[in-house]
Amino acid sequence: MNTFWLFRNRNRNSPINIGIISERGFKPRQPWCFGNSPLSIMARYLAILLFGLALCVYVEAAEEMILIPAGTFTMGSDTRAADEKPKHKVYLDAYYIGKYEVTNAEYYEFWKQQTDLARMPENFTHLPQIGDWPARAEQFPNHPVVGVSWHDAKAYAAWRGMRLPTEAEWEKAARGYTDRVWPWGNAVEPYANTAAEDDGYQNRLAPVGSFPKGKSYYGVMDMAGNVWEWTADWYSDVYYAYSSQAAAKRPKMNPTGPEVGSWRVIRGGSWIDKIARCSTTFRFYFYPNLKTSFVGFRLAKTAEKTKK
Amino acid sequence: MRNLLIIVIVLCFCMPFFNVAADEGNDHSRYVQHVEQGFDFMFQGNNQKAISEFEAALVLESDHAEVLHYLGMAYTQEQFYNRAVESYQRSLTLMPDNIEALYSLGVVYFRLDKWADAVPVLQRVVELSPQHARGYEVLGKSFVKLRQYTAAVPNLTKALELKPQAAGTYYELGTAQLNLKEYTAAIENFKLALRYGPGRYAEPHYGLGTAYLRLGDREKSRAEMQIYQQLQKEYAEYERLTRLTRAEPNNLEAWTGLATLLMNQQNYGKAVQAFQRCIELAPNDANFHHGLSRAFMNLNYPKHAVQAVKRAVQLRPNESILYNTLGSAYAMQGDQKNALVAFQKAVALEGEQPYYHLNLSKLYQSLGNQKLAQEHYRAYEHFLAVQKSKQK
Repeated sequence: MNTFWLFRNRNRNSPINIGIISERGFKPRQPWCFGNSPLSIMARYLAILLFGLALCVYVEAAEEMILIPAGTFTMGSDTRAADEKPKHKVYLDAYYIGKYEVTNAEYYEFWKQQTDLARMPENFTHLPQIGDWPARAEQFPNHPVVGVSWHDAKAYAAWRGMRLPTEAEWEKAARGYTDRVWPWGNAVEPYANTAAEDDGYQNRLAPVGSFPKGKSYYGVMDMAGNVWEWTADWYSDVYYAYSSQAAAKRPKMNPTGPEVGSWRVIRGGSWIDKIARCSTTFRFYFYPNLKTSFVGFRLAKTAEKTKK
Repeated sequence: MRNLLIIVIVLCFCMPFFNVAADEGNDHSRYVQHVEQGFDFMFQGNNQKAISEFEAALVLESDHAEVLHYLGMAYTQEQFYNRAVESYQRSLTLMPDNIEALYSLGVVYFRLDKWADAVPVLQRVVELSPQHARGYEVLGKSFVKLRQYTAAVPNLTKALELKPQAAGTYYELGTAQLNLKEYTAAIENFKLALRYGPGRYAEPHYGLGTAYLRLGDREKSRAEMQIYQQLQKEYAEYERLTRLTRAEPNNLEAWTGLATLLMNQQNYGKAVQAFQRCIELAPNDANFHHGLSRAFMNLNYPKHAVQAVKRAVQLRPNESILYNTLGSAYAMQGDQKNALVAFQKAVALEGEQPYYHLNLSKLYQSLGNQKLAQEHYRAYEHFLAVQKSKQK
């Protein structure tokens, strides 16, 4: 009976070879593609190319980043909260944004390499459905990481070679170029984990991607509810007014928020909020040092510009 | 045996330290729990419970500038201004240049009429954050209160540069200019206050009346003062009804009056709440369901409006106006089929009502049926003329 086996053949120069071990002993077998014929050489190059492509696809899929193309979108609203006024045009270069919020499992990989105790997520002993760190990373690996400050989120993003999305990037990814009140559209639907009782996740977090119907125009998941998301910008209630005045003649280009502030902008609403606070335009703010059970984050990175 | 004794002695010494560590861990868990619950209550608008939670958290861990600020904000919401000042000051001891805590402190000083104390705090806010519109606004208002009008004007002007539709700031700027005898500029700003302000904003009319009087235009002055007095009366009525409904939450007459007044004032958000209370007290009164649906329609919530008016129709199935509202709500929702049925029913019940024909005409037009659209438009014109001649 022949057995295929991968083994080290010490009698040959080649360290690894593929052969057939049989009752009669080793019979070396040269695979057809290891020869020197043009066909073999072509096959080898093709294999390398295919492997590279597969690797790229794998890495892209693993990072689950969604490309948001460059262009102008409408930011803010004239009919909702005062700090969302005025509705104005904003131009953003192309960027990638996390398809999902960063999960416990992902943050755990970062955390276990840290020597800085400050990067430790907060424990929520009183909320067993969220739990203490690091046990919850094992228990709920696909839940969005919470109990992390803005500084933790920023450090994690840097560790991944990325960054936090700006407020404008966040809104474009949630809203698309249409004027959607919620990422899925304008009707109130149970497509997000909010404080409502009809979404299937009462008083607890949902694993990321639990609401495929709630995805945004660009396919970004969980932009409404589950956890608020840190953005890179400082909060100012008049930033839009200021920003849109400056951009009276042409859209504001890649805005990065006010230069100073006390609070960082958080977006998207959470499992403790009513659906109205989970809209694509609703702005909220939080001290960057605070670590709570309802604020997490997702990643972003600038897409490389194609040369003209 | 001797070794065992040593171990026991060592353990006896160490146990209290283990307990302290364990207690610290428990205390922190409790601190986290109180803070989380505090935020939860605060987001729900329940500031009293938020205060209890934040206070309990700060007993366990007192050195959190952020939580002290949130506690101060909750105190401010509940109008416990002195406690808010104390809380903000403690927060600022830990984080001295915290812009928002400084701003909050300035606001509370302003509300406590401590304008002189508010000024340096707010000056620090705008120094740290030169785009802080709210900081300039309250700083300007403080100067107005201190009668330092010359200092008020640049701050209020800067606030308006940053926040151009702030009615209250235009009013304050107008007031400062009025006192600086810059009447023409004051009139402009009072007018802008009315343009951007809420409906039935009384004070700018008083400012206009005064400015026109100083310019010698008595007629315009009198007209503005009359509007001011009328709006003041309305406001007094609103205050009376609000107090009455608070004191007597089951007083249906007071709630009805309040709901009607709010609808007249186009304050539809509050009108919804008033009608909902009326419905709790008298669930079978179709008028309240109808009022609620009209308030929802004005707030652009057609789905809720349909639900409310359907209930009214169940209670009074032969009331034409209910079908007209139902049709309008359906039309607003984009449900033309049901809108048509409802409008037809309204016309069938009261065919002489011109506006039912107008609605039906508009709907037929959007459905592409020009013949019926024109037919009902003619009916509208006919019945409108009849109605006018009757009124004459």
